Amino acid sequence: MGLRSYVITRIILTIPTLLLLLTAVFVMMRVLPGDPVALHFEKKATPETMEQMRHLLGLDKPLWAQYADYIGGIVDIGYLLQHGYPNLGKSMQTTTEDVGGQIFSAFPATLELAIYSMIIASVIGILLGVAASKAYNSVWDHLIRGFGIVTYAIPVFFLGIILQLVFGVYLGWFRTGLRISPTVQPPAHITGLYTIDSLLEGNLMKFVESFKSLLLPSLTLGIILSGVFIRLTRTNMLETFRLEFVTAAKARGLKESTVTFGYALRNAFLPILTMVGLQFALLLGGAILTETTFSWPGLGRYIVDRINFRDYTAIQGAVVMFGLFVTLVSLVVDILYAYLDPRIRL
Amino acid sequence: MMEKKEMSETKVKRSILARLLPQLRSLSKRGPSGWMVIVGIAIVAALVTMTAIAPWIAPHDPNKANVGPLRSPPSLQFPMGTTALGQDMFSRVLLGGSVMLQVSAISVFVCFLVGVPIGLFSSYVGGNLDKAISLVIDAVYAFPGLVIAIAIAAVLGPGVINMALSIAVVYIPSYFRIVRSQVLSIKELTYVEAARSIGAKWYTILLRYVLPNVVPSIVTVLTVNFADAVLTAAGLTFIGLGVSVDIPDWGYDLTKGRELLSSGGWWVITFPGIMIILLALGFTFIGEGLSELLNPKLES
Amino acid sequence: MSGKTEIAIVGLVLIVIILSSGTMYYATTAINNISTLSDQVTSLQSALESKFASLETTLVVGTTDSVELTLDPAQAYDYFGWNIMQQVGDTLVSVSPGSSTGADFVPDLATSWNSSSDLATWDFNLRTGVKMADGVEMNATHVKYSFDRAIALEPSIPEGAPAGLGYDQIINRTDVLGTYKIRFVLNFPFSPFLGIIACRASAIVDPKYAPMAQVNYTAGDARASTPLAFVGPYVLSKWDRVAGRDMEIKIDANPDYWNTPSGYPKTKHIIFKFYSDATALRLAISAGDVDMAFRQISANDILDLQTNPNVKVWYGSGSFIQYFCFQTKLGFPFNDVRARVAIIAALNRSAVTQTVFLGLAKPLYSIIPPGMLGHTEAFETLGDANYTLTKSLLNQLGYNEDHKFEFQLWYESSGHYPQSAEQALLYKQALEGSGVISVTLKNADWASYKLNRDNEIMDAYMYGWYPDYVDPDDYSFLYWGAWLHTNYSNATQVALYDQARATTNVTLRAELYAEIDDMAVQQCSVAPLYVSGAWAVTKPSVFGIYLDITQDMRYWLISK
Repeated sequence: MGLRSYVITRIILTIPTLLLLLTAVFVMMRVLPGDPVALHFEKKATPETMEQMRHLLGLDKPLWAQYADYIGGIVDIGYLLQHGYPNLGKSMQTTTEDVGGQIFSAFPATLELAIYSMIIASVIGILLGVAASKAYNSVWDHLIRGFGIVTYAIPVFFLGIILQLVFGVYLGWFRTGLRISPTVQPPAHITGLYTIDSLLEGNLMKFVESFKSLLLPSLTLGIILSGVFIRLTRTNMLETFRLEFVTAAKARGLKESTVTFGYALRNAFLPILTMVGLQFALLLGGAILTETTFSWPGLGRYIVDRINFRDYTAIQGAVVMFGLFVTLVSLVVDILYAYLDPRIRL
Repeated sequence: MMEKKEMSETKVKRSILARLLPQLRSLSKRGPSGWMVIVGIAIVAALVTMTAIAPWIAPHDPNKANVGPLRSPPSLQFPMGTTALGQDMFSRVLLGGSVMLQVSAISVFVCFLVGVPIGLFSSYVGGNLDKAISLVIDAVYAFPGLVIAIAIAAVLGPGVINMALSIAVVYIPSYFRIVRSQVLSIKELTYVEAARSIGAKWYTILLRYVLPNVVPSIVTVLTVNFADAVLTAAGLTFIGLGVSVDIPDWGYDLTKGRELLSSGGWWVITFPGIMIILLALGFTFIGEGLSELLNPKLES
Repeated sequence: MSGKTEIAIVGLVLIVIILSSGTMYYATTAINNISTLSDQVTSLQSALESKFASLETTLVVGTTDSVELTLDPAQAYDYFGWNIMQQVGDTLVSVSPGSSTGADFVPDLATSWNSSSDLATWDFNLRTGVKMADGVEMNATHVKYSFDRAIALEPSIPEGAPAGLGYDQIINRTDVLGTYKIRFVLNFPFSPFLGIIACRASAIVDPKYAPMAQVNYTAGDARASTPLAFVGPYVLSKWDRVAGRDMEIKIDANPDYWNTPSGYPKTKHIIFKFYSDATALRLAISAGDVDMAFRQISANDILDLQTNPNVKVWYGSGSFIQYFCFQTKLGFPFNDVRARVAIIAALNRSAVTQTVFLGLAKPLYSIIPPGMLGHTEAFETLGDANYTLTKSLLNQLGYNEDHKFEFQLWYESSGHYPQSAEQALLYKQALEGSGVISVTLKNADWASYKLNRDNEIMDAYMYGWYPDYVDPDDYSFLYWGAWLHTNYSNATQVALYDQARATTNVTLRAELYAEIDDMAVQQCSVAPLYVSGAWAVTKPSVFGIYLDITQDMRYWLISK
């Protein structure tokens, strides 16, 4: 099978997966107890006013009609081209805002957090993993492996508040919450990632201020995820070391560092790349807790809010967008893998 | 009532240990990975035993408010301090593992019972059925895990079994995938072909030939699953979907302890936090050690 | 494999980590210094100026609230939405800051008022020279438009404040009697009408920005996001929302404010920043990230912050209450008054207010909070942890130590009310201390809790209330409120209530509300538990915080 047909097959296969995802989340929402209508009325509400609200939210239509609206909205390409995001309906809590718009405005914050956490996790993970593999069975190896295992076992919010207290309150080096210092205006919105946007704007002060707020949450998530990278890198490096071409390279008299980083790491890299892709997808779980701890206005906090509000359309939309993101990431990873390793395509 | 259940749990666990001990001895000869497994088992066993005998050794009723001064640091009378309501932390730590252990055990059990058979069956049969089931599992896998757990927990309401079920749903795809990847490589092996050619039934082949080869990787996933279930349970409690307030729970104290930490009260979050980390660690050690032992490529 | 190599690599990694964090720290402070030099000069300037008068200072306020949906008086019904609207808009009358009764009304956009003797007609004389947008002067037609709009939009905004308060039922029509004179004709005699006029749903809108439709948040355009006439001390200059949650709100001093000679607003610029929960907010004020933290900080943190020299803690009275509800429809024994009274008598309010709220809440023995007209100590007759009464009543119903009265007590677990779980635990322990009651605690998150309430499946449950207007009229009906689904009703109490709202005679009203309280004690369908205090935390340089019974934070009084 050539690369092209592999790619096409994989892309086509994502469609039924997504459709299943859409339907599953639609059903799940309708099963949730708790009425989005009732949640609009804090105090006194009469049956008439509740019926009015029910009609406003479109909940008085039969289920199949709601489902048809839902699917119809998502595949509405015209809407997508006009607004830049798909039609995921209107939020049931605010009744006037587009869910798609809400998600797209919340997404950059989570993306920024995810990217920086990933960078920290992979840098720490790969460096320490390589070091451990080189020092196989020594004290350092055990210490690093131990570190890798322990970090993963720490609850996110536990580590988060410790970092907040130490670096935010006692030392005062970094911010304990929000995306940027309260007295500083965020940079003009281009990508939505404050660090990138402030650099694009050429404003170094804003970059520093957003970095100061970004560091603690990314560090929290990054440290916890690094454990996985440490173990994976170490295992894969150890496997690669035993391969003959490495012995051959050393026999030819190449420097340790060239062998380690030039040959061995490059080969161990593929599984690590896959892990990066997969972990990216799993990040959202940790992001929910991190975003709550650090008052980070991202998608994780959005989803938790929406579940509390029983905002069906918003939850459906967020899960769908997230599922799409995960599917895309695994698609890209698979294609990259197939490109780099021809054996897979067969 | 809780005492009786803990008693029978202890008995069961002790008999399992009796059978495992000779195997443990052989493990200790297998180098550092073997030691890892032993340490892991020891940690888990210790925590389980502590929780089991806790009802007899806990000095105070863990729920009773005002047994001591409010939020007082560790002292002779209260070795782990008291909570914001004046409850004894030591008693709460002793008894608080029960929820976590039950939730993770049930969720792993359910996961295993659902994920492994489906994985075995689907990949062995192959063909379009396999493709269809894989598609469904992929769809579930694409769900953000904690979100599903939150949504399901919100549907079912609080409680140990409900929390366990919501976590179980999230992890079923992992079992399915591991089993499937193993079966796909095993089922083409010569001796399986041979068994097929002599007319062995599909379930015999699955149970006698395929499953034993798959078990090692399942065990690894199992232990990681356990650790993850513990942490997810803590996460769910943090969001507010934990068990009722009159059941002592490490996750609950972890959440409430965070509120006290900002004013210097470190003992409410630290002790349950250490327990949760230890529990997750124990399982992870077992998993790590086992995966290393069972991975022949690393034997040097 | 050489041992030195591994050690070298690990050592190198550690050194890199230490060096890079050190460099980053140095770099951030250095770059900060360089690029904020001009900012420092400006802030130095303003710091000097503020020594003599608070001219261009900025107050940064941290909060865990968020505007629920809009800043439209025809829709908004949440605390924070009302709070922001109060800073930028105005009502005809308002409650004097520091009021302990909530009935000290002072002129605002109206300079004087009177009502007919039957309390069904109210006339207001408006202030002249109040500028709205584009120099247009506010007059009676704008007031009429505001109220007509609120009432007209009720059908399409069923969850809004005018609908919830029943504006269409109270107000028959508004008549413009002159350029600066307006008359409200009510459908029935209504003495608390000034409270309605002072509440945020009665804020005056600017017809230029207030179509006959709900005005929603418009990204990037604060003026278009609210229909309010900017006649208050501030104007809304920035409102950023992301995905249904506020990110930043900025209000600046109103150059056309009619009351500028008074020196208000004291602080010219206010920025609101939004944190996820009470712990995050506490950390922010401890770290000095914000100048003021208001709603919510936990009781533990407040008591701890009292000893912190870097912050100042402010206390005040509150009007948020919580109460115990019974589902009387469930049959025996809930429909028997004796069972309900027995349970209420066994409760220990002070255990809860001392242990859970650390004294920052007070036990409440009347559905009307202290300070307000009609407050009594009626429920004190039942006592706290009055086990003798409990046992004797339950014995009459056939319950004793061997056959306990078992029921489920529900609490909500998603943080909608403060410390619900801890409260529930203590109520359970108090009840079980009697020896004849056995309580099973059940919980649900807010959405499910509300559903359970409407489906009437909860034996007993805790609920809360904060007022729309500070008048006993907005509290007393809680004893029989239909939406509470307690299935309790009492025509006598309702008659007393209607009588009380039809008179301004303070003595008579007090007597009537006291009678309602006494009847409630005998019935115990709903029993008050506690009234919460109010508190705020600021940096030591901040002054002017008034935490009165209205729970309104008047930011224009605050100086830094």
